[in-house]
Amino acid sequence: MASGPAEYSGPAPGLAEKILSRALRGGGETSDLFIEERRSLSLRLEDGRVENVISGGDLGGSIRITTGDSTVFGYVDSADEDSLLALAAELSRSGPGRPRSLPTLAPVAVSDGGSVIVDPRTVEATVKSRLLHLSDEVARGTGRDIRQVMAVYGETRQRVWIAGSQGFQAADDRTRVMLSITVMAERQGVIQTGHDTLAHHGGFELLSEEAVGELAATAAERAILLLGGRPAPAGRMPVVLGNGFGGVLFHEACGHGLEADYVLKKSSVWEGRRGERIAGEHLFAYDDGVAPGMWGSAGCDDEGVPCQRTTLIEAGVLTAYLTDRLRAAALGLPLTGNGRRQDYRSLPYPRMTNTYFGPGEATTEELIAGTSKGLYAKSLSGGEVNPATGDFVFAVEEGYLIDGGRVGPPVRGATLIGNGPEVLKSIDAVAGDLAIKAGTCGKEGQGVPVGSGQPTVLIRELTVGGTGLA
Amino acid sequence: MSHGTESRVRATQAPVEIGRQVIALGRGLEADLEAYVQSGRTVTVKVYGRQVESVSVAEPRGLGLRAVRGGMTGYAFTTDVSREGLDRVLAEAESDLEASDSDPFAGLPSKPAEPYPDLPGLWRPGTSLLLLEQKIALALEAEAAALEPAGVETVEESVYSDEEARVAVVSSCGIEVETEQSYSFVYVVAHAGVGADRQSGLGFSAHRDPRELDPEAAGREAAGKALALVGARPCPTGAYTVVLDREVAAALLSTLAGALSAEAVQKGRSVFAGKLGEMIGSAGVTLVDDGLDLDGVATSPFDAEGVPQQITALVEKGRLKSYLFDSKSARREGGTARSTGSARRDSYRALPRVGPSNLVVASGSGTLEELLQRVGDGLYVEGVAGLHSGVNPMSGEISLGVTGRLIKGGSVAAAVREVTMATDFAGLLDGICDVGGDARQIPLHGSVCSPSIAVRGVTVSGA
Repeated sequence: MASGPAEYSGPAPGLAEKILSRALRGGGETSDLFIEERRSLSLRLEDGRVENVISGGDLGGSIRITTGDSTVFGYVDSADEDSLLALAAELSRSGPGRPRSLPTLAPVAVSDGGSVIVDPRTVEATVKSRLLHLSDEVARGTGRDIRQVMAVYGETRQRVWIAGSQGFQAADDRTRVMLSITVMAERQGVIQTGHDTLAHHGGFELLSEEAVGELAATAAERAILLLGGRPAPAGRMPVVLGNGFGGVLFHEACGHGLEADYVLKKSSVWEGRRGERIAGEHLFAYDDGVAPGMWGSAGCDDEGVPCQRTTLIEAGVLTAYLTDRLRAAALGLPLTGNGRRQDYRSLPYPRMTNTYFGPGEATTEELIAGTSKGLYAKSLSGGEVNPATGDFVFAVEEGYLIDGGRVGPPVRGATLIGNGPEVLKSIDAVAGDLAIKAGTCGKEGQGVPVGSGQPTVLIRELTVGGTGLA
Repeated sequence: MSHGTESRVRATQAPVEIGRQVIALGRGLEADLEAYVQSGRTVTVKVYGRQVESVSVAEPRGLGLRAVRGGMTGYAFTTDVSREGLDRVLAEAESDLEASDSDPFAGLPSKPAEPYPDLPGLWRPGTSLLLLEQKIALALEAEAAALEPAGVETVEESVYSDEEARVAVVSSCGIEVETEQSYSFVYVVAHAGVGADRQSGLGFSAHRDPRELDPEAAGREAAGKALALVGARPCPTGAYTVVLDREVAAALLSTLAGALSAEAVQKGRSVFAGKLGEMIGSAGVTLVDDGLDLDGVATSPFDAEGVPQQITALVEKGRLKSYLFDSKSARREGGTARSTGSARRDSYRALPRVGPSNLVVASGSGTLEELLQRVGDGLYVEGVAGLHSGVNPMSGEISLGVTGRLIKGGSVAAAVREVTMATDFAGLLDGICDVGGDARQIPLHGSVCSPSIAVRGVTVSGA
């Protein structure tokens, strides 16, 4: 809340040295310490009421000791020296070999926390509540068929301090603000929903009344539109995949398979294919952890490696994998700043930050005009991939039939299914309208904020899974 | 890691004592207060390539505090259960409450008139008795079993995990309960086939006592599932009778059960609204929410707001008998309903919401093979992808990626991948035409005990 409690002031000077020395006393090649303080606030509206307001604080630390390919990990829900020392002692018992001495740690590299113009903690809760009511009113004002509006406001400030026996120390300060809305419309027993989210790494400045009103209208109009939709077609056809959240395509079809843990275990279809042509020359793809204000951006990753922009596909050639410290060392790959974790309770894994295809030369209109029969999947709601096979699936939230090069009637309930390596090869054209949306990526039971985006692209052929049999 | 630290859970302050303390400290707030307190110990072992990849240990603990005054609800949580931390969480919950809107049905449950069910055996000693080395051995055994059959290329991961947890609910309205539980499982992901033909399969074994786990069976299951799919291709688009493997059936029923929540019904976001007493599926469908089933992972004497758990018949031979209620949704019915003990929460960081405990689907007859025989021709669905985006719990639409095998003349035939199946809740329930007798407890998506289920008229989109 606005008058927040006393903040944790960060680890005392010398604490990291003490903990890491203790951790390595039982052997072990490397060790790192991750301390996190997270303050969060959320308000949830449904039935026209802010039904609840939730605030919370997490403060804790975790220690990892690695020897060869083997890791011992533990955490405590506290950041005080005694608790962390006790944890270090417990974990270090498992280590083989002789005690290792700790090199002198470098001074803490403090990341620039990014631009926070209006600190959300300085904004009264009533202002946040009013935004939720505004979105409710705008959505309900869109049409008589709107039955329910659910809107959530969320803010978090996550501060992390990371130190490793390799000699580094880093700190980062991440403020994120989001507002999401789900609108339900009903007509003659048919229920449809529309959903949209505004989210960024930054302060409350994101949420002007205008922006929130627009968001609510978009979600409501989508729900109403789909009431008049026909069942999605079933079968293989060309698909024009819309910009923004269409970026789930790259995230699922390719991005996960480039995460170096899958590569290391040879559990990725992209293993051993760096330098290979995997798509047309018009295709470029990036993981960009430093894009200003993006939902998945940060100063450094959760292992203290500065975030960066990594080119993953350059003119159709696969150029890089996404690494954390463990997998970079094991594979002899460069660090890319992708060692991320949900919180101090979790081990880091290679994870995407913000991924997107680079913009091309075409326009969306041209892509549609060049398609005689197919599906225009304007917005997706999420998906899943099996990195081992590359088989992915994602759900279309807003889709239309394409008939004779024109956008036709809306369709509902469509799923797209395909195979990563195949679909990249069948991207025939790329428009210039790059947009990136916020989402949460789940892996190893951990959710982390990511951005996914793309310009509108044309896919030669993809399987559409609807109920409409020709 | 030595075994000596295993007793530390019991040495720390009991959750119910922390709950009592914070409720006592909050007396001056003039609000109804409810504390939900968790503490426990958990060990997770991952092995890869017949070696330990990681060992994680933790003793998580935390407190969530719900405050209600004049219909306004605030909630605050913390990991800091010192006196200072408790004072802070009380102040935060009160200020959160003041930022919420008043809801005439908001409130806390009062002390239940009936006694809490006696459920012996929710805590079993195995998690504390087994040494870390023995837990590692369980994961290695599962991996070895998965690697054994010819054609298995690799095991992506083999995991052992256990947890001992104590949960207490203490409120200023007279509730004061605590339970202690243990749970353990192993799971294995195996890969078979090479290149574009690579397929994966998951196997698991779960029990409250790790000494009862069957890691070999989990490994064999993972290998068998991966091997069965090697060489899979899309099948033709069309309407199929699908046999949902019991794990797939469990996953779909678990999402469908969200629409049986009274809260979803009251708020107009359930396709089952207004259908009480009506047929919502074929006569082959009987579904029970069993909060007392000792084999279920969601079993507990009380739910997430301290109300006794119970057994609730949801669907009987196709007829909708009841929704699931927490105390608030029951209050909203104005005296005609009572809580079915269906308040759930993911952890102390979350407010309770309405949801199922252990869903139990009534068994039909025969083995899976006999069910496939009876069905004759169709698609045996062994895996689904995209559950979190492909099932809309409000509209009831289902469209998922599918792997499995064709059923020809009563037996499994060619393996199938890169196809989707699409239907909706009504189509799924109406289309159920046969149910197997092969029920299994499946703790993967919530807690569901389900047999394999045959559903007629499902659109499959493929080649």
